[in-house]
Amino acid sequence: MIRTRALNRTIGLAARQALLEQRSFWRSAEYALFTFALPLALLLLIGSTTASGYLPHTHVAGQKVFVPSIIAFGVIVAAYVNLGAKLATLRHDGVLKRIRTTPMSATAYLSGVLGSTAATTVAITACVALIGALAFGATPRASGLPELIGGLALGVACFGSLGMALSSVARSAESASPIANASYLPLAIMSGIFDPGFSVPHWMSAAIGVFPVRALAQILEHGYTPAAHAPLTDLFVLLAWTAAGCAFATWRFRWH
Amino acid sequence: MTNTLAAELALDVAEAGDTPHQAPPAIEVRDLTMGYGDRPVLRGVDFEVCCGEVFCLLGPNGAGKTTTVEILEGFRQRTGGTVRVLGVDPAAQPARLRERIGIVLQECGFPRQARVAELIDIWRAYYPASRPLEDLLAVVELTEDRNSQVRRLSGGQRRRLDLALALAGDPELIFLDEPTTGFDPESRRRCWAAIENLRRLGKTIVLTTHYLDEAERLADRLAILQAGRIQVTGTVQQVARQAGVPTKITFTAPERLRDGSVRFPASLDVAVTGEVATCVTGHTATALRELLGWAAANDLGDLDDLSVENPTLEDAYMQLVCGDNQ
Repeated sequence: MIRTRALNRTIGLAARQALLEQRSFWRSAEYALFTFALPLALLLLIGSTTASGYLPHTHVAGQKVFVPSIIAFGVIVAAYVNLGAKLATLRHDGVLKRIRTTPMSATAYLSGVLGSTAATTVAITACVALIGALAFGATPRASGLPELIGGLALGVACFGSLGMALSSVARSAESASPIANASYLPLAIMSGIFDPGFSVPHWMSAAIGVFPVRALAQILEHGYTPAAHAPLTDLFVLLAWTAAGCAFATWRFRWH
Repeated sequence: MTNTLAAELALDVAEAGDTPHQAPPAIEVRDLTMGYGDRPVLRGVDFEVCCGEVFCLLGPNGAGKTTTVEILEGFRQRTGGTVRVLGVDPAAQPARLRERIGIVLQECGFPRQARVAELIDIWRAYYPASRPLEDLLAVVELTEDRNSQVRRLSGGQRRRLDLALALAGDPELIFLDEPTTGFDPESRRRCWAAIENLRRLGKTIVLTTHYLDEAERLADRLAILQAGRIQVTGTVQQVARQAGVPTKITFTAPERLRDGSVRFPASLDVAVTGEVATCVTGHTATALRELLGWAAANDLGDLDDLSVENPTLEDAYMQLVCGDNQ
């Protein structure tokens, strides 16, 4: 009974926090605009050039793979890069320390922040999917919804927890963004996120498979075309990284 | 006085329902030590803060004020000693303690895009029992700025918003770490008025500052912290006395004193500069009696412009912290 009340209170507070974070996000118009502009610009530029045509040795349209991989890219930017940098800035500015002066629970606060990130991610995903469908006719499979919804949820959880971990690794607010970019961008390029026809040597492909970037992209791609790599291994990769991210963030999260 | 007698007296006062000073102390610090690596910062700090008083922690930069306060707030771990804040050890940052205290940190940012009222409101939600929003806005005089985004506020307004957030949970105990640093005179006065309001509401306040006038104006009791130790504790008068700052008695030196036909009693330490004679003493009443007796005996009449200058907090502070004898 008491536990239910406490849980309801935590959920209520997290929801309020998420709402405040969302409002703040949209108020900084420039920040919001460019958070959306990056994946959309890549979608249109690469989608209409490199990614058009069929994948090598198949009858699968490149854009069927490219649109979901840009959705994955959007998830990574919003949940990993932006969240990591945001938390590092909040810590640097003393906002986290200020939160710590109140009885607000860490769970409720961080759930709220993560909830707002999830909302932003869903909005970016919707934009990418819509423009992908209108511009390139790339629509998800009807039976691919579990992969899409599950992949999105797991992607936000995984990269969000890694973003939290990243914010604690970065020693200063300034270094959070460079660290985030340096850690995911090479992986994203080598994973073929920006080029559906991209291929790498076998050993490198195996190495990249250990990381969550290609894993998320492949799960989402499977939501668009059954020809994509079956995502069971990818599911486990994402789960493992989520667990690692959560464990590290819990262990090392700093309020000041 | 024996302990039993003291206890009886305390009981009497408690029964009379008098002064909050008989309640258990809001803060108890015993032999508190803390160091960074092998550099000691606090070397055995002792003090108590009574419920309902404004207690001021003074000291030069680097004396350990902020470290002490951050230990009390639960932000730093001590190396040794005992600390009780509202009867609870703050080291584990228990939420039930944070529900009862309000903290204004020395430097602390805001979520910049949030609006004033919106931010205060969510802060109220963090606490089980909060003060009404309108009330908080009024106390810190931000009612007209309620819809402003925090990033558009001036420095003084932000500091007042700091205070509003610290008061959101209607705390019993409030920590203010250098609340008026960087203020213009008018903002300082407003902040002081807000603090005096809180005292009237029966709140206990722990204030750190390096403005002596601020301490003199606001503090019921104060402690001077230097090099990791409390040098002295008490009211402003007690501190001055303990610091051994002498009282100054001044008067216009009579003609006959200046031309050398009358001499001062040898027992008094008097110096004449121009027309003004200054007597420096640790025993004001005795010195006054002696001076007036000497004046009468030498037929000097009443000493013109006779005045007694009590030591100020500044004198005491300079004496203690700088070893200044002026």
